[in-house]
Amino acid sequence: MGRMRAAFLAAIIGMPIATASGALAETDATITLLAAGCANCHGPDGHSPGAMPTIAGASVDVLKAKLLAFRKDEAPGTTVMVRLAKGFSEEELIALAEHFASLKP
Amino acid sequence: MSTANVAMQVGRTTRRAVLGGLSACVVAPGAMAGPAAWEGVPAVAALLAGVEPRRDGLALQLPALTEDGSSVNVTVVAESPMTADDHIATLHLFAPRNPSPEVAAFHLAPGLGRAEISTRIRLNESQTVIAVARTNKGEVRLAAREVTVTTTGCLVPSDQTTAGVMQEPRVRVGPSLPAEVRTIIDHPMETGLRQDSAGRPVPERIVREVIATAGETILLRAELFRSVAANPYLRFFVDGQAPVELQVTWVEDTGARVSATVQVPAA
Amino acid sequence: MSTIVHAIDRRGALSLLAGGAALGVGRPSLGQGAAGRVIVVGGGFGGATAARYIRRLDPAVEVTLIEPAERFYTCPFSNLYLGGLRDFESLGHGFDALRRAGVSVVHATAEDVDTAGRTVRLSTGDTLPYDRLVLSPGIDIRWGALEGYDEAAAEKAPHAWKAGSQTKLLRAQLEAMEDGGLFVLVAPANPFRCPPGPYERISMVAHYLKTNKPHSKILVLDAKDQFSKQGLFTDAWAALYGDMIEWVGLSQDGKVVRVDADAREVETEFGNKHKAAVLNVVPPQQAGLIAERAGVTDDSGWVPVVPATFASAKVEHVYVVGDATIAAPMPKSGFCANTQAKVVAAAVVADLAGRAPPAPVWVNTCYSLIAPDYGISVAGVYRVMDGKIAEVEGSGGVSPREADAAFRKREADYGAGWYAAISADTWGA
Repeated sequence: MGRMRAAFLAAIIGMPIATASGALAETDATITLLAAGCANCHGPDGHSPGAMPTIAGASVDVLKAKLLAFRKDEAPGTTVMVRLAKGFSEEELIALAEHFASLKP
Repeated sequence: MSTANVAMQVGRTTRRAVLGGLSACVVAPGAMAGPAAWEGVPAVAALLAGVEPRRDGLALQLPALTEDGSSVNVTVVAESPMTADDHIATLHLFAPRNPSPEVAAFHLAPGLGRAEISTRIRLNESQTVIAVARTNKGEVRLAAREVTVTTTGCLVPSDQTTAGVMQEPRVRVGPSLPAEVRTIIDHPMETGLRQDSAGRPVPERIVREVIATAGETILLRAELFRSVAANPYLRFFVDGQAPVELQVTWVEDTGARVSATVQVPAA
Repeated sequence: MSTIVHAIDRRGALSLLAGGAALGVGRPSLGQGAAGRVIVVGGGFGGATAARYIRRLDPAVEVTLIEPAERFYTCPFSNLYLGGLRDFESLGHGFDALRRAGVSVVHATAEDVDTAGRTVRLSTGDTLPYDRLVLSPGIDIRWGALEGYDEAAAEKAPHAWKAGSQTKLLRAQLEAMEDGGLFVLVAPANPFRCPPGPYERISMVAHYLKTNKPHSKILVLDAKDQFSKQGLFTDAWAALYGDMIEWVGLSQDGKVVRVDADAREVETEFGNKHKAAVLNVVPPQQAGLIAERAGVTDDSGWVPVVPATFASAKVEHVYVVGDATIAAPMPKSGFCANTQAKVVAAAVVADLAGRAPPAPVWVNTCYSLIAPDYGISVAGVYRVMDGKIAEVEGSGGVSPREADAAFRKREADYGAGWYAAISADTWGA
């Protein structure tokens, strides 16, 4: 993860902003943990073996737009994602979109 | 065991209403904390009237953990010979962090044979439930037990609807002595703290008394408040030394009454 | 012997450990040469996930997984096997992928834990040391808590609440049942494993009976007045199975107080007796035995945990995940066990490295299948708020009460997708 994004994440997640590697490791751990919650349905590292879409390596713009639309309930007919996305902040959803977009498809 | 032959006399039919099993979530101010903090509960302090209660001879049985605060089993047991000279006269139950802390008050006669009462109560949140017993000689005992409520009774959505009438009384008498008596009646125990789906307040409507008599003798009179769970349940004992016809009467706050009669010991 | 040990741990803090020869003078606080030794007890959704994710987060940590079964069969989707929609082997998961991830898997039973000496004793007689212990013990049946229901009774009136021979026994009884028979399910009071489980089971049994033995009936005797996703289940039962299913709650005398397994008969609180052709008793439960042996349970029989990390609230260096824990409002589900295990993995790795754990977020989605093309779900996102686990306001909830057939079909497909994904995430492909 880039230093700037880490600092951004640290800011939104409420961790102390620091350039020391320890703080970076903590921020990485936070995004890793957030993303791990997606694997239960979208598969390990976003590689889905089933009906849910694979999100690893997807377009970052598409992922962001979808997640933010779920959060605002602007995705009619959606099953669980409209219920789950409301549990995260916009910043967290953007960070998740960037995380999964950066993985190998 | 035999199921009671139930004689029903419904005094009055109330209007149909939505089940009010769930009280509004109002946190009692000045809620108590700490082990001996019942002094901070005005209703308990008023009952004790400055008397230091004994902490033995009374047990309060409740699950340490419950995931449904809308109906929690509770049993109060006092050590007592339950004779005319020496018996428990009253048992009080308090849930200090409920919107109204007083849950129930039971008035016991020696003919019960055993000072043990069970019911089902509402718990708004995790708290220390308190029981206070008073003997016929004026001795006071107190028991307290902490209960963790992980989902409040307020938040559990109910899809059930029950007619707002008091109906279907059931009484069952156990085969051994003292005879265990279980009673229940359909009733929403509407707290008066809830709004209906249109946002209008639903008025309080509760069963305020359950009375068990053997002939002219009142064996048990239970005063119920809105912290008693919907479909009020009561379990108690009757000594059964002589066969009696036990009549159980439920009294709604409207004055409506329903009665059921059973034989003790069970025929 | 009275010893006072002064030790500098990896965080550089001075620890004062008083008394007890069991601690041992000069015992290193971490395994030598490694970033730490972690033992994980239990190879289900919680344990296998914890083991995998600890290795993922820090490959230098030695992880040993203790699990008696060489293949782990899951409770989730075992109702689909009962309904005839899945074969039993599809519920089984091996541990080869965990081994490939560097987890050493030991097929034995963890019989006891010495939390002072930090060792686990196995059924093989071996005693293994740990720096951190993760328990994922699942549930045990409280035998005898329901009069007449003991281990012998379960051979006649199965619980099938742990997947395996019990599940197969219940399926065999269903197959042997005559058309027109009565299937009785006895449902417990809260808390218990998988809150919507009994009602999904009823749905799958109804599907099987409707298809094969359409004159049969189902009676649910419930010790509660309300259950998970109730409105969605009852709507679907009425629509799909007509009057086949009757549900009786606590206030209507649904609480069973005695079981006669030989006669396949149950007696309720107010003296009603019901005789079944097939009797399925879901009995009262508690945390798996090893939790009690480790001293992490409380009076309730379940395990209190520190919300942010799922460290035991009672015993140092022990973490607990899954159904055994008191984690409500998170339900006792495989999904929750999996997300709790990820929080524990992050916390354990941080703990061993002397770092603060990351802020936890937990997710849950429980799918229930009511018919092959009819799925429903409940979802939730949880965080620590005011020191307690709480559902994030505005998030979560159940499937809409009014939804079309396409929506229900999609949730049925997503349910299958979920099972494939979480199985891969937990045990590896």
